[in-house]
Amino acid sequence: MKNHRVLALVAVVVIFAPVGLIAADVKVIANGSVKADMISAIEVKSVFLEEYNSLRDGTHIEPVLERDGPVHEAFLHEYLGGTDDDLQNYYRALVFSGRGSIPKQLGSDAEVVAYVARTKGAIGYVSAETAVEDVKTMTIIRSGNDSQRRLISRVEPEYPDTLKRLNIGGTVRLQLTIAPSGNVEAVEVLGGNPILGESAAAAVKQWVYTASHSRTIAELSILFGSHR
Amino acid sequence: MHKRILSLAFAYLSFQAGQIAMQAQEFKLLDRMVQVHGFVSQGFAYTDDNNWLTMNTSQGSGAFTDFGLNMSSPVTDKLRIGAQGYDRNLGQLGQYHPSLDWAVADYRFKSWLGVRGGKVKTTIGLYNDTQDEDFLHTFALLPQSVYPTDLRDATIAHVGADIYGNISLKRGLGVLSYTAYTGHRSDSIYSGYPYYLSSFGAHIKSFGGLQYGSDLRWNSPLNGLLIGASRLNENITGKGSAINPFNPGGGLVPYSETSKADWTNQFYGEYTVGRLRIDAEYSRYWRNQELFGGTSESFADVHGWYVSGAYRICKRFQIGSYYSRYTITNIVAGALSAFYPPATDTNLPANHDFDKVITGRIDLNKFWNVKVEGHFMNGYGSGPYPNGFYTQVNPGGFAPNTNALVLKTSLNF
Repeated sequence: MKNHRVLALVAVVVIFAPVGLIAADVKVIANGSVKADMISAIEVKSVFLEEYNSLRDGTHIEPVLERDGPVHEAFLHEYLGGTDDDLQNYYRALVFSGRGSIPKQLGSDAEVVAYVARTKGAIGYVSAETAVEDVKTMTIIRSGNDSQRRLISRVEPEYPDTLKRLNIGGTVRLQLTIAPSGNVEAVEVLGGNPILGESAAAAVKQWVYTASHSRTIAELSILFGSHR
Repeated sequence: MHKRILSLAFAYLSFQAGQIAMQAQEFKLLDRMVQVHGFVSQGFAYTDDNNWLTMNTSQGSGAFTDFGLNMSSPVTDKLRIGAQGYDRNLGQLGQYHPSLDWAVADYRFKSWLGVRGGKVKTTIGLYNDTQDEDFLHTFALLPQSVYPTDLRDATIAHVGADIYGNISLKRGLGVLSYTAYTGHRSDSIYSGYPYYLSSFGAHIKSFGGLQYGSDLRWNSPLNGLLIGASRLNENITGKGSAINPFNPGGGLVPYSETSKADWTNQFYGEYTVGRLRIDAEYSRYWRNQELFGGTSESFADVHGWYVSGAYRICKRFQIGSYYSRYTITNIVAGALSAFYPPATDTNLPANHDFDKVITGRIDLNKFWNVKVEGHFMNGYGSGPYPNGFYTQVNPGGFAPNTNALVLKTSLNF
């Protein structure tokens, strides 16, 4: 069996490596109708640039901005890049070419929280110190480098005998949620043979990473046999 | 006359709407939010020699006005409707005849798939669909080699439909945005090409036809870097009457021109880092027309490219510069070839326009800017397809070089 395990795990490729909470001074909030609890920094940018009108789970979303001030500046710096003038020009270009509209822009954290709380699909941002009720605070994920969460304990996946005998192999893609402690909290099979996926997920759930201050999302590809 | 009255009414309504909208840019109608936006710009141009852009610029001209007003509203989460009216007067062009600039119903199924139909602004390159909105740009005039303002009608919009979407690439490789469209183009008889043809005694009654094309742009993972390509195909027919070139005293004869091949390829890139923005675009326009019912044929090959840089010195002040290069070659075959010898030497000033530009832009506030711009042009590119210089306003012929001062101010809300 040990031989099988050695043969089975040919490659483990980290595609997206661990990440952390970002923007200590700004948090992204969403209306309760938004199903997701986590959103990548790239998705945040696409939402506020009106490239996306829904998240992957199909939830309709509507961006809400602060008009100006340090929280707005911090949000621009952290997620969108460029200045407020650049952003306003971008929105005007959408409006005057018939491709979009200028999002709601409000004057304070309190106004943003209140608007997000009552508006289906609304997603906005406020100071990290602002107390929020009736809205959800989104966990932000973004890709980083491998060294952020180093794998310190690995259990090799089992290559089921039957599949190996029949020469059935291939690549399985997994998404991991790694707790701050380093334990793998959840594994989702993104693609590949379902039996191999189950085997890989069972092993990866036992992996341990270095500790971090925040939860991490990572994607892995595991190759069984010499198939691709 | 009616058009003038309509135009004045439109300007008045725009102004009144603007007054209201300055205070509140949105209102509720049937429980839906309606956004109202508008703009107006006024320019002045002075040239030291050739008259430019159909204005009497050698004397200084302020016949350089445009304005627009739009309303849009989300009907549902996925459906948005809107429309914009536009009007302009640029020398001999436009002449304050208002037009429906765009009127769109836009349904977005998913982030990666949407459709919009109606009169739709055409997506070509970085700025085709926003070329009229002066306040969006550092420059008073976009590079004329790629965005000739006198020929805006040729590409500005189509009556038809687009499909479009944004696709987030895996592994953090950025976002791909695509647009594919088809529709009908219809040029105003007050636009540049009909005006150009009038110099040969042709009077165009209709000019337009099928357009279809696509645009693909990549917002790369390198923050601020955008790269894209556009393709436009056309099948255009122009009809009217003209002085018989073979018997000028014999009265008018029917005039027609029809596309045999008509396409544009455009490649572009933009990089923004901090306060600096660099743009570069290359465009090639190939045009093969049958003239006078097929008795003659014209082959025009237009190349244009520019590189520009704009730097924001402080919140309210930007400077910019670009180099814009335009060349054209043309061959006429058939009966008309006797009148039009081949024009293939792009070193001749008649077949090129090289423009060096410097600009300063001051934003007096969020809604009001003033620009001062200098153009230093070599060549006048007045060949078989117009590019800013027209014989009607230069009856004494062209000088090889033109320096221009352009002042422009615009308001938007």
